[in-house]
Amino acid sequence: MQDIFWLMRKIFIETFRSKKNIILYLFFPLFGIAIAFIAFGQTHSQSLAVGIVNEDPGKITDETIDYLHTKTGIDVQALKRDKISEALTSGNVDAVITIEKGFAEGILRQHPGHITVVSIKGNSVTAMLKATLYQYMDNLVALSTAANGDAEQFTMMYEQYKQTEFGMQTTEMGDLSRQFNMTQTAIGFLIMIMMISASNLSEIILKEKQERTYYRLLASPITTKTYITANLLVNMIVMIIQFLLTLLILTGVFHINLGIPFWEICLVMLLFSIISVGLSLVIITFANSRSAVGALKNLIIIPTTMLSGCFWPYEIMPKVAQRIAEFLPQRWILKTLTQMQEGSAIENLYMNFLVLFAFALAFFLIAAYRFSRNNSTKNFI
Amino acid sequence: MHLQKCVSFFILKMIRLCMKRVESVNILEIQDLTKKFGDFIAVDHMSLSVAEGEIFGFLGSNGAGKSTTIHMITGLLRKNKGTIIVLGKNSEKSATFIKRNIGMVPQELAIYEDLTAYENVHFFAGLYGMRGKKLHERTVEALKFVGLEGKEKIYPRNFSGGMKRRLNIACAIAHRPKLIIMDEPTVGIDPQSRKYILDSVRKLNAMGCTIIYTSHYMEEVEEICTRIAIIDHGKIIAEGTKEQLKSLITDSKLIVVDVKSPEAVDLAAIQAIQGVSNVQLDDQTIQIHTELGVNNLNHLIAHFIQNGIEIRSLDEREPNLETVFLTLTGRNLRDA
Repeated sequence: MQDIFWLMRKIFIETFRSKKNIILYLFFPLFGIAIAFIAFGQTHSQSLAVGIVNEDPGKITDETIDYLHTKTGIDVQALKRDKISEALTSGNVDAVITIEKGFAEGILRQHPGHITVVSIKGNSVTAMLKATLYQYMDNLVALSTAANGDAEQFTMMYEQYKQTEFGMQTTEMGDLSRQFNMTQTAIGFLIMIMMISASNLSEIILKEKQERTYYRLLASPITTKTYITANLLVNMIVMIIQFLLTLLILTGVFHINLGIPFWEICLVMLLFSIISVGLSLVIITFANSRSAVGALKNLIIIPTTMLSGCFWPYEIMPKVAQRIAEFLPQRWILKTLTQMQEGSAIENLYMNFLVLFAFALAFFLIAAYRFSRNNSTKNFI
Repeated sequence: MHLQKCVSFFILKMIRLCMKRVESVNILEIQDLTKKFGDFIAVDHMSLSVAEGEIFGFLGSNGAGKSTTIHMITGLLRKNKGTIIVLGKNSEKSATFIKRNIGMVPQELAIYEDLTAYENVHFFAGLYGMRGKKLHERTVEALKFVGLEGKEKIYPRNFSGGMKRRLNIACAIAHRPKLIIMDEPTVGIDPQSRKYILDSVRKLNAMGCTIIYTSHYMEEVEEICTRIAIIDHGKIIAEGTKEQLKSLITDSKLIVVDVKSPEAVDLAAIQAIQGVSNVQLDDQTIQIHTELGVNNLNHLIAHFIQNGIEIRSLDEREPNLETVFLTLTGRNLRDA
């Protein structure tokens, strides 16, 4: 154990002597918070821009759209189907509601549907819009039920319903979706930094091999296991500091409601740290040189992080990309955090945790196998 | 009768004890050591022993198997066959004990550029279990020994090649090993640093360390080693003191001819002269190995005159290690 501490001490001194590394490992993860503030920091005072694609023109549909116009905080604008992606990606609208053919018919037949909601701002926005719409649609369905599906009777009852006066007291609720989105954006960025940090720290093993200090170490009473363990522990400590620092600043300084108990989010991120270390070891066992590590890092970490929805909502990605994302650990981390924010209890997410453990196990087994093979033949002659 | 048995038993015990003492004099014993990389046999059934207090020279061309042997002794490589006994302990059973008592000076610099000279030695010495005041004292002592006192806080990237080599040595000796293995410790350094290192080797030896020294520089080995082994194709082809090795080739002599236009020399034609066993062109000089007892000097001189090659000087030399190596392996060590 003393040997492990001795090696860890050396790695810490060597790594954190460089100011560049201090910035990279300790301050860079905090950029995610800045990005989250840029993306979501001011949206609470602005309305949600919603594009409506109306493919079922008619009285019921028009009334539904008018209803949305009456809602405070929602700016509705008409949109054509072929302009959906452009409007979303350009930021002209935050969400798009598509009212498909058969919407009015569905209401009258008491089978509501034919409506889709997509948003660049994630689940919380689509959920809010759906809740607003479904509440209105439920009322229409109730009227249709009372009118026995008779269109004329329904129209008459609907006109009366509109003219009814209600005494209503409005209380503004805190908008947690914004805070949840900020947390997700900050965590998305943190995930990428953690993976890069893990690879950089594991790269030290390769650096030592190239600079031959690794062989001097192994000529001393230090074993390969001791050396790798020390490197893993340093890697884990750095990543724990990274996510703790980010989460503490989010909650302590910016008073962001994470929507998840602190220890639960720490548990998920700890699991992700283990996965990152495992993946970083796999990368270095497949690379013959440090430049190869750099290339593999660029080839693996950044594309998979983008594909997992760390930088934009998973929902707006094409279906093929969404299917690929299901095989990536970053996606499962974000999925778990989203489900926790939506109120799922940690014990109900055992499948997510099993998948994450499986990722960690697979990476460590591959790395162990590759290490054992690498060590059997070295360029010693 | 009973007394006779007791005396016999006592004598037998004493003989065994003496034998054990004789055995323990050898700090390293290698028997039938073999290492293969696929089909390539890097070390081929090698056996050798190094006595305590020796400076043992290990000579061989690139790929001869020196470094592979050294890496097996230090536990960096697994052997395929044979036994390695260091300080009376088997390498398989007492790997940690052996590693604790060996100091390894690798051929390539193995130091951290991001740690100061002091931190480098301090860290490597700490791997051998030392801590606190003792570790500090040993670190300072090692740096002083290699002449780097006052340079403790300097980063190796600011050192000259020779200073880096000396730091490389300091990292291997701070824990005071009984056996120090130096793999080409003087490669690519200035004559002053080389002299410093060679003097350090002698001093370490005088302090009781046994040293295994490999080098391409024949004159270094000749100068400091008490015993030498020549290794070729993974096998020891000759072993002994330098005098013993030189005596192996008493049947040949070396004639060194310094000529004005070496490009005009036809080596094949010289090789064809009676008694010539080997000819080599080394810059301006031609090294001609000829059989002892064959008087071919006139023929050699005539060859140069007939071909219009001006002779600046001609010298007949005693055999040295270079000659021994060339005779035994058919190759010049530095060109090999």
